[in-house]
Amino acid sequence: MFLKTFVVAVSLLVSATIAQAHTPLCSCFDNGDDTITCEGGFSDGSSAAGVSIRLETLDGRILLEGKMNEDSEFTFDKPKGDYIVMFDAGEGHQIKVPGKEIVE
Amino acid sequence: MKTKLLTLLTGAAIIGSASMASAHFQMIYTPEMAVTKGGTIPLKLVFTHPFDAGHTMDMGKAEQFFVLRTRGENAPKRTDLLDTLQPISWKGIGNTGKAWETTYKARGGDHIFCLIPEPYWEKSDSFYIKQNTKVIVNVGGEPGAWNEPVGLPTEIVPLTKPYDTWTGNVFQGRVLFNGKPVPNAEIEVEFLNHAMVLDSNSFAKEAEVEAPQDAFVLQTIFADDNGVFTYGIPRAGWWGFAALDLDPDYTYKGKKCSRDAVIWVQAKDMK
Repeated sequence: MFLKTFVVAVSLLVSATIAQAHTPLCSCFDNGDDTITCEGGFSDGSSAAGVSIRLETLDGRILLEGKMNEDSEFTFDKPKGDYIVMFDAGEGHQIKVPGKEIVE
Repeated sequence: MKTKLLTLLTGAAIIGSASMASAHFQMIYTPEMAVTKGGTIPLKLVFTHPFDAGHTMDMGKAEQFFVLRTRGENAPKRTDLLDTLQPISWKGIGNTGKAWETTYKARGGDHIFCLIPEPYWEKSDSFYIKQNTKVIVNVGGEPGAWNEPVGLPTEIVPLTKPYDTWTGNVFQGRVLFNGKPVPNAEIEVEFLNHAMVLDSNSFAKEAEVEAPQDAFVLQTIFADDNGVFTYGIPRAGWWGFAALDLDPDYTYKGKKCSRDAVIWVQAKDMK
């Protein structure tokens, strides 16, 4: 019983530490050919491959949904109007990048 | 007894030649090692004495200048920058020397700039100096392989990130020669005491600090048995670390050549 409690406590501790030391990061760049590449990752250097990424209009309409590739990148055609890139690695691990802040 | 004396004499000769070689620091300079957003950054390659900025040494054409970009767990990508280098004149306090410049478009992660220069003939000491130099620029805070050896013949591998140092932190590095730690390596430490003015390719005339005595201009420390050294950073700015003469028998064009390894750290105040 004691042991079980101990194991649960330790695993909670471990997951809490990981969550704190693990800040999501996402930078997007204009490739100059009407495409944008977003690079995702985490502050501890771990991969963001497979993390969800969405393009949304300013009023929350989804324009495009995808996932980070094996190099933790996502490239898309530049939308015409204003948009937001949402890097979504789960609750508390989301990053919004406004399209108008994306430059070469 | 004879052996002891010989050891003493040899030791004295080594110390003598090492201190003569003091205060040379190869720079790969860009204003910011920790860049917030990607973009084009300027790079200046200058061979100088950074504390007093007194004499700028003429640089020849580099043997190699390249960058390794690493981001997260991605494989490193190497980009050769040698052919992008343009010659410039860099104005020191006492003279003007030949230097080089280029620009580089940096996206996220670690960018490990590596320079293997042509050996420099130090007339006053009658030997060559070849300082393989590393500077690591990070964009956006996502780390890469900053703590892994690049594989330069002489190299300082950082054990603490050179771009996220607070004033008062320690900097640790491991000195390598051909990939192997150099026990008890001698390392010179110097502060970049004159701001680099990129528009005019010159050092600012005003020094930031004054040394109370000559020993403070250039500090000498030693690595431990594993080639690891530690230095507490007392002030914000650029700090150069040069591990000296890692291959004592090396010659270039028939003359003694000191093969050194240099790395730079940029510290920031907490405010």
